[in-house]
Amino acid sequence: MATQAEFDQMIKSGELIESPKEMTPDYLKELKHTLIVSGDTELISAPAYYLAAKRAPSINAFMTGIAIIQDELAHAHIAYHILEELGEDQEKLIFSRDPKSFRYPYAFDVPLDSWTELVVANGMYDQAGFCLLGDIHEKCSYGPWKRGLNKVMAEENFHLRNGRTWMKRISAAGGSAKDELQRAVDWMFPLSVEWFGLPDSMKMHSTQLEYRLKGLTNDQLRQWWLSTVVPYCEQIGIKVPAHKEVRDGKDVWELDYPFPCEFDAEEKRWDFKKPSSWDDVLVRWRARGPRNVEMVAMFQEEFHKFRKTHHKNGS
Amino acid sequence: MNDQQLWAALSEVQDPEMPVNLVDLGVIYGITEHDGVVEVELTFTAMGCPASEFILEDVRDRLLRETGVTEVRVKVVWDPPWTVARMTEAGRDALESWGLAV
Repeated sequence: MATQAEFDQMIKSGELIESPKEMTPDYLKELKHTLIVSGDTELISAPAYYLAAKRAPSINAFMTGIAIIQDELAHAHIAYHILEELGEDQEKLIFSRDPKSFRYPYAFDVPLDSWTELVVANGMYDQAGFCLLGDIHEKCSYGPWKRGLNKVMAEENFHLRNGRTWMKRISAAGGSAKDELQRAVDWMFPLSVEWFGLPDSMKMHSTQLEYRLKGLTNDQLRQWWLSTVVPYCEQIGIKVPAHKEVRDGKDVWELDYPFPCEFDAEEKRWDFKKPSSWDDVLVRWRARGPRNVEMVAMFQEEFHKFRKTHHKNGS
Repeated sequence: MNDQQLWAALSEVQDPEMPVNLVDLGVIYGITEHDGVVEVELTFTAMGCPASEFILEDVRDRLLRETGVTEVRVKVVWDPPWTVARMTEAGRDALESWGLAV
């Protein structure tokens, strides 16, 4: 194993780490944590999207929805597979963890109840995933993950396209269809903004950045997301609570509401008149949202049932 | 307008899921043009292609950008069926470098 100083030098010089043998224990810990967040996020998007994809308005749309879910499961598999190579037990990670200990963004705990909400998720949540993974793909110091993301990025593009095409189509249809789309954006936009975590001003130190597990800070990623989503929504005639300002010759995206603020997950409604603290947000995140238990059960229950019956039959 | 120009236009249309264009993928079976009306015969790599709508939309949009094209009619055909043998060398190379064996 390299000494700490040698290892730090490797990271600094831009070299790629290729195996656990080259890692310091602290790097390994941080890499695993980053992979678990990524794997859990991809995995949970499958039941979350499935519950809404069932409401697709045509066979072709349903097929596209299902293809996206298949992609997400494959992406999850890449992350868990790497974790296994790093000494974790994939089966335990997926099937034996308590629902609350999964490390995916809170947004997925709020049910997607319609095709409209699914395509907004493809347009906004997958855009968040695209920014986060795109940054890792470009900057990540762990070679196997960086390369594994080649295919993931192309597929995430397809998901985004599904989201954007349908959002545009629904908006153009006008009337109650467009109203429903606007309502979905109203609650899903702020949840996506939150996705990127604490603002840089509150997060002074990032081990992930230090180890080049990612390259951009939370605020930089959030700005990237806003710079793609806000203009697109405006272009298709959908209102979003953010606008662009030019500061020192640079585009800066500003939110038009207190960030963070109160969210009613059951009603899917934000109260922009009630600012909250990040401590409140962290409490809400840790408690998880309405659908956490149900979604984790969707893939855990059958696994254990099968195990039991298999055992009973004497094999 | 010559056919070459229309083939070149479609070789700029990427498959929505894989980094390969439709001509190299071998799904474009024929292009004819008459008085600005372009007829395209194409197939998909699978009957249940989740990207079929996007592909049709992209083919139409791209051909309509060619000067003189006023209408695009796309006919989806299943005979002869698509196989990997229909891919060009360049298409195969693109997918192989991406990690798909073809």
